[in-house]
Amino acid sequence: MAHYTIMGRDPYWMNFFGLMILTLIEVAAVGLDLSPEATGWSYTEKKLTLMILVGIGIPKFIMIAAIFMHLWGDEDSKILTLTALFPSFFIIVMILFIGLTHPEATTGLPEWCRPGYYN
Amino acid sequence: MSEHDEHHHPSAWGPHDWSHGAPHNSWAPLIMSIGFGIFLFMLAAAFTNGVFDASYVPLVFVGLLVSLVGLIVWWRQDMSFDGTYEPIATGTPFKNIQIRKVAIWVFLMSEMMVFTSLFSTYIRYRTGIENCQTVFERGDWVSQGYTLEAGEALICFEPASHLIASSMWHIAPGAINTFALIISSFTIVQALRWAKKPLGTVDEEVRRKRVFRYLGSTWVLAIIFLILKMTEWFIGFYVPEIEILGIHEHHIHSLYSEGYLINADHYHHHDWVDEATGATMLADISVSASTFYVTTGTHGVHVLGGIIGLTYMTFKAWTGGYTPKNAVSIEYFGLYWHFVDLVWVLVFPFFYLY
Repeated sequence: MAHYTIMGRDPYWMNFFGLMILTLIEVAAVGLDLSPEATGWSYTEKKLTLMILVGIGIPKFIMIAAIFMHLWGDEDSKILTLTALFPSFFIIVMILFIGLTHPEATTGLPEWCRPGYYN
Repeated sequence: MSEHDEHHHPSAWGPHDWSHGAPHNSWAPLIMSIGFGIFLFMLAAAFTNGVFDASYVPLVFVGLLVSLVGLIVWWRQDMSFDGTYEPIATGTPFKNIQIRKVAIWVFLMSEMMVFTSLFSTYIRYRTGIENCQTVFERGDWVSQGYTLEAGEALICFEPASHLIASSMWHIAPGAINTFALIISSFTIVQALRWAKKPLGTVDEEVRRKRVFRYLGSTWVLAIIFLILKMTEWFIGFYVPEIEILGIHEHHIHSLYSEGYLINADHYHHHDWVDEATGATMLADISVSASTFYVTTGTHGVHVLGGIIGLTYMTFKAWTGGYTPKNAVSIEYFGLYWHFVDLVWVLVFPFFYLY
């Protein structure tokens, strides 16, 4: 259990309210018309939305892991955080080198592995 | 086994006297593994090459039944767990940390890898296959015959978010689910907090009721999550006309009735009809639909697994089974449940909103 406070208040309640507010912003970012803002920043609306969603997703992820999952502030937090970060190498390889930067992406796969091959 | 176990013969079927140490001879893991194995193999056999074969259905249920027997054995042993014996690691790097806690984290590490594989598959296909809307706007649709013959479908990526994020009503189930999971993460932490309050600082009946209510609330929220997911996938919903609030009548179709399916190789969205010529673009969206359903479905299965665990834990809380000594069991389940929430934090924006 947490042995600290956030701004003098219960960390779980603060975390809960923070997550709710961030989720509201997330949904609003998709529901609202952001095209004027996107044009002003020379982005497409979709790209701006993606940036907002990533920008909100990261703190949400950290808030749940750090406070609800006790990866911060407990005696064993450090070693358990390292344990949790252990698969990050695999995650980096999968996302960066396979998901994002494979030069030929799906087109370079053998025919039997490409979409549309169902035999 | 320790010295005082000499005259003690723990049952492999539970319940167990934990003061003699942890049971070393439970049949539960073996039975459950066999049960899940039968279930998965028979389920796969029932849908060979997309053709349903009903003859395997009884064996699917046999698998489920064997798994249930394993669960009952496990729960019978856990019901007697009073926290007397909690194994602690003695060696580095986890010295003085509960072994079960480390085990849960190792399990979560494997789970991270499962979901990373699903995410990288999604990213790879999403970036590697042209978006259907982009192809449509360029004018490569079927009846104009630029690249394809008439009636032939074009393989393109149609994200589910194109349908889901098309209106606030379509987003509603996913958005409510996001809030439901965040609230459930909070309720499980509250259950742990009440279970962990030191003896004498709280009335035991109050503790029992609070732990039961918070675990029960988590169970209800998890059920709401799955109901809304089924609504979004298969059922759809009706929005009545409410003039005072400015809400107009809507029939929100499910993804199923919209034709967003894993075998949709001739999918046509209503947006893709050219008004001038009446031409309709046909798209093979089976890849995009598969990545959506497999990823969100895997997450849904985890929620279902959580519901099964919560059902037992809520029952145990109702019997007053949780005390400060064995409250760590709630913490360990909570780690799993927060992880399910954590995955949803990524699934929701990338599969539902973007």
